[in-house]
Amino acid sequence: MRQLRKLAVAVLLSFLAAVASTGHGKASDTSLEATISALASAKLKDRGNHIEALAATGDAQVVPFLEALAAGDVYFKKSDKTVFITRKAEGGLQLLDPLSLEEGEVVGSRSLKKVKVNNKLRRLVRGAVAGLTVQSHDAGTRLEAANALYKSQDLEALPLLKAAVAAETDETVKDAQERAIAAITLKNVKASEAERLEALGKFKAQGDQEALALVSSFLPQAKTAAESEAAALAIQSIEKSLAMWDAVENVWYGLSLGSVLLLAAIGLAITFGVMGVINMAHGEMVMLGAYTTFVVQEVIRKSFPGFFEFSLLFALPLAFLVAGGVGLAMERGIIRFLYGRPLETLLATWGVSLILQQAVRTIFGPTNKEVGNPDWMSGAFEIGGLALTANRLWILVFALVVFVVLLMVLKRTHFGLQMRAVTQNRRMAASMGIRTPWVDARTFALGSGIAGMAGVALSQISNVSPNLGQTYIIDSFMVVVFGGVGNLWGTLVGAMTLGVANKFLEPYAGAVLAKILVLVFIILFIQKKPRGLFALKGRAVDL
Amino acid sequence: MFQHSKKVASAALFGLMASAVMTTASHAEETIKVGILHSLSGTMAISETTLKDVMLMLIEEQNKKGGLLGKQLEPVVVDPASDWPLFAEKARELLEVHEVAAVFGNWTSVSRKSVLPVFEELNGILFYPVQYEGEESQRNVFYTGAAPNQQAIPAVDYLLENEEVERWVLAGTDYVYPRTTNKILEAYLKAKGVADEDILINYTPFGHSDWQTIVSDIKAFGTAGKKTAVVSTINGDANVPFYKELANQGISAEDIPVVAFSVGEEELAGLDTEPLVGHLAAWNYFQSVDTEINAEFIETWKAFIGDEDRVTNDPMEAHYIGFNMWVKAVEKAGTTDVDTVIDEIIGVAVPNLSGGYSAMMPNHHITKPVLIGEIQEDGQFDIVAETDGLVAGDAWSDFLPESAKLISDWRKPFSCGNFNVETGQCGGSATN
Amino acid sequence: MISRYLFQALDKRAFWVAVALMVFAVLVPLLNLVVPDGHPLHVPDYLVGLLGKYLCYAMLALALDLVWGYCGILSLGHGAFFALGGYAMGMYLMRQIGDRGVYANPVLPDFMVFLNWEKLPWFWYGFDQFWFAMVMVVVVPAVLAFVLGWLAFRSRVTGVYLSIITQAMTYALLLAFFRNDMGFGGNNGLTDFKDILGFSLQSSGTRAVLFALSALALAGTLVLCSLIVRSKLGKVMIAVRDAESRTRFLGYRVEHVKLFAFVLSAMIAGLAGALYVPQVGIINPGEFAPANSIDVVIWTAVGGRGTLIGPIIGAFLVSGGKSYFTAAFPDLWLFALGGLFVIVTLFMPKGVIGLLGQLKGLASKMPRKNADKPLPAKPEAAE
Repeated sequence: MRQLRKLAVAVLLSFLAAVASTGHGKASDTSLEATISALASAKLKDRGNHIEALAATGDAQVVPFLEALAAGDVYFKKSDKTVFITRKAEGGLQLLDPLSLEEGEVVGSRSLKKVKVNNKLRRLVRGAVAGLTVQSHDAGTRLEAANALYKSQDLEALPLLKAAVAAETDETVKDAQERAIAAITLKNVKASEAERLEALGKFKAQGDQEALALVSSFLPQAKTAAESEAAALAIQSIEKSLAMWDAVENVWYGLSLGSVLLLAAIGLAITFGVMGVINMAHGEMVMLGAYTTFVVQEVIRKSFPGFFEFSLLFALPLAFLVAGGVGLAMERGIIRFLYGRPLETLLATWGVSLILQQAVRTIFGPTNKEVGNPDWMSGAFEIGGLALTANRLWILVFALVVFVVLLMVLKRTHFGLQMRAVTQNRRMAASMGIRTPWVDARTFALGSGIAGMAGVALSQISNVSPNLGQTYIIDSFMVVVFGGVGNLWGTLVGAMTLGVANKFLEPYAGAVLAKILVLVFIILFIQKKPRGLFALKGRAVDL
Repeated sequence: MFQHSKKVASAALFGLMASAVMTTASHAEETIKVGILHSLSGTMAISETTLKDVMLMLIEEQNKKGGLLGKQLEPVVVDPASDWPLFAEKARELLEVHEVAAVFGNWTSVSRKSVLPVFEELNGILFYPVQYEGEESQRNVFYTGAAPNQQAIPAVDYLLENEEVERWVLAGTDYVYPRTTNKILEAYLKAKGVADEDILINYTPFGHSDWQTIVSDIKAFGTAGKKTAVVSTINGDANVPFYKELANQGISAEDIPVVAFSVGEEELAGLDTEPLVGHLAAWNYFQSVDTEINAEFIETWKAFIGDEDRVTNDPMEAHYIGFNMWVKAVEKAGTTDVDTVIDEIIGVAVPNLSGGYSAMMPNHHITKPVLIGEIQEDGQFDIVAETDGLVAGDAWSDFLPESAKLISDWRKPFSCGNFNVETGQCGGSATN
Repeated sequence: MISRYLFQALDKRAFWVAVALMVFAVLVPLLNLVVPDGHPLHVPDYLVGLLGKYLCYAMLALALDLVWGYCGILSLGHGAFFALGGYAMGMYLMRQIGDRGVYANPVLPDFMVFLNWEKLPWFWYGFDQFWFAMVMVVVVPAVLAFVLGWLAFRSRVTGVYLSIITQAMTYALLLAFFRNDMGFGGNNGLTDFKDILGFSLQSSGTRAVLFALSALALAGTLVLCSLIVRSKLGKVMIAVRDAESRTRFLGYRVEHVKLFAFVLSAMIAGLAGALYVPQVGIINPGEFAPANSIDVVIWTAVGGRGTLIGPIIGAFLVSGGKSYFTAAFPDLWLFALGGLFVIVTLFMPKGVIGLLGQLKGLASKMPRKNADKPLPAKPEAAE
């Protein structure tokens, strides 16, 4: 193994020289093919050596093969053991030559066997590909390579990286390369004290968790007193800055949890808060929204794969219509007979919720459905020491937008005016010529529709199953009641308070106790303020 | 007035009774009844409905082959609705009213605990197909799912050897299965020289959906400069948000691999698996197992359910094995009589779907291979490791001090589920 | 003597139902034990267990009706009192197992051995005594109800706010009991019981006695509730339900009345739970689930709230329906159950009892036209 590595380095260096002089080097195709087929027939454990051998050729021709290997697209034929890269095609898999990428026949998957890789091999491939592409023409590829080497900290890549950084023109790539060099330096036994101290300084300034990991794994290997002192100081400083960010992180997590609660509850703030219907089927409206997203994505996947990124935008209005429509039917069919008997709406809507759950189970099956995240909803980015995940951020934004729009509808539109009039004094409103039954129906449909839209957002972070609604219903009621029935601002503040309180308790008490404590807090709080955080004044609220 | 109401109530009751009695009377002689006790509604329906379907399929297939002992098999399906006491009631109904010859069912441990006394009292047979925490061996129950030593320990071994993991996060839902598994693993890891501060144990409630804090804690724990892995015993519903959060916070399997014991093909079907490639699971069966018998099973299943996209998973295989074992034992005994079948089934070996034979051990657990798989983009698992031979299920773990003393052997005349080797006595409940 | 007194003091219907229940208490066990298997009148064990369970549910529904139907307090957390009573009983039954557990530990229940607990936590002391457990069966729910009620009624938390905090209470308890660190067996709860007062729980005899006790307890509760609602206190309760402020202005201490009803109701629920546990053989945190408490509300509403017999009928009808449908139509029964709830609220606003009244009214008013077709309830004007 060790010898092989040495050999590899030697080969690599010589090729590097060749690359530098002629611009491209090429190992003989036959030897590559031999290594590839040896790799395919080797045991999982031994495949690493062959990958290293491929990398050692320094031939950029093997890059597509290695990438396909990591992605799990490399197969060999069961009959003659020839190795291919494959691509999904009609009727099976399209075979491609591993080196020339020439297209071959399409065969059924039963006649092929996959060349499996595991995490360890994938890491190896990643490092190898990075080594081969660190001087690629494309800046994006170079950046990727540098980042991969930062992670793999492959000693052999050090000379490559140093050569690359000297020739690099792009600032971001250069930064990444220097970072990778620093990380490798800490691992490198042969590095000088000065080099290491410089690397430590770099990571101290970087100040994130990865830097902490690198420095703390370096600490026991420090050779001189100056090194260990510098490392200890760096750790101290990084930990200090991380601790500071911790509090910020908790607030962010709390707000994010709060936004989920707000979304789940905001429709209920209308149907329950404004209309006084104890709508136990509220959770199912959220569920309908989530299933609408699923259906929209299925249609897009099957018929218009190019539009997947916009699937949520299509789903939003549809979810509003579907859930709103069901809400309308519910109001016209059942709830309108029950006004003034709020507790009986509980019974009827509970029945509706059972029916809706079972209907969804019958139509879509009882298992979870896959709702994909579009790219703009995936991943995370960092602000200082705070990692913000894209989907949480969008959900927070979406929740606030829904809140503001709803507030506008209530305060600034004619319909909103009628709605408030009806809830405040039904008879008076009727005498003024407002068609109260229609206002009721539309209000209920609005609340349900908003719940449906919430479902679209929640499908991005949670299970899409017939039980989806049940997981949110209790929390939703808590939020609305805590905030004060009939007050949208109360719902907003209630959701955010509960979210943040939960997240600040969680590190100390654990997830379960935190939730219990929040519930106890709600119970005690209601004793102090029997009408919630923002109590409406007047008689209209007497449920 | 009062008489009216009384009449309604009594009519309802007698209707119930009459229908129950009539169903037993009309079919009693022609068929052999098989009870299926899986939740079709409520929180567990998500997992259990599939098992009901696979049982219906197995019974249909058996009937095509001519049934059993010259009689047709008749499935009796009931819905215990994820309601634990209702499980006991339904089990009683299956055994007493429908007089089924055997019951296949249950998923959660608590539902099994709830029906145990019923099976004991009415002397029935239950086949339990799900991996569980062990610490049980009952005369009337056959455990076809994995015991902890058939899943957790080989998985940890794999991580120790292949990924050289030095730091461990044991994350689980707060109930008995994760508690036991983590206890066993903690003892095992410490025996392997892992220090206290390198093990982080974390429990969350059922259906936990907000994983931000915990995932960031895991991330922080993984930055101590040692290779870190997560051993997840997170249950059902909580998994999807957990994996979504992992993916979003950018933890890839190459950085911190997660090995799960409750995540199979069915769970992955509800997930976008692209960011999860490389995370692991340990089971005794994967749909991707490359054998003829498995290909046939998958084909039959897809045809039966009428959906090309449906997947197969480990508990389904457990039912497959359990059902075939029961059929074989009944054929061997020539009767469906419970006591005879319980005696005959020990030692019965039937093909499993991974190309070998599984046998029923005297402790009512079975032998199985242990497979470690990595999640692939298509929602399937690539098998990256496999135990050399079959592993026999251990009812009483050797890593828990109290249970290490116990052994189980239901062969006559020993017949004891929890024999204490220190006191030399067959202690407690499982004696009959 | 007493029966004549009761006959006069009680609502007639309640009296006859109580008598019927007592007959039931004797008859069903007799038909189960004495009449031979196979005889058409034989009641199978299965049915005894099932009916025993319904009797406990009926008691729980009656307890809820006392506070909801007569005092206007809609509790969405009555399942919690039921479960607490059940846990108290379960703890006694656990201690009775003694060294017959799988690990043969004479003191610690199995789940504690298995979590490596060294000794019994303090709150398990005393539960090896039957009398102590029986006291706790009513005291624990009563204390919880007292604390919650005292806080809530004093601060005049009413209506839906009260409903939600009772729901929060049962939800918090659900999460708490799920925790293994609490020492109540976590998610699996308490199970594997052997015997009660030395009688094996698996024998038909013990089960018949438990059934009889449940029937008698229900009859007793019915009599008690009937006496209360017909007393002066009961009248005040109804006044509180119909016009709380007005009653307060008349000089009644509304919160005391409510507190009394709430605590008594919790005690009845606890007793029901205690009778329930030995019959079903398990108690676990699932009983705290908010959906279970909503079920109780539904039994009461279906049967007819504000009557004493309604909840009993409702509990029997709905749970009987559930038992039947889950076996007969396992894939579709939720449609039937959900539909039932919708229909009951729409067409039978006063429940089954009310429907009988409606039918009777119809029959006398319009003897010829559509006598058997129930009229849809008119939507009531908003308050």
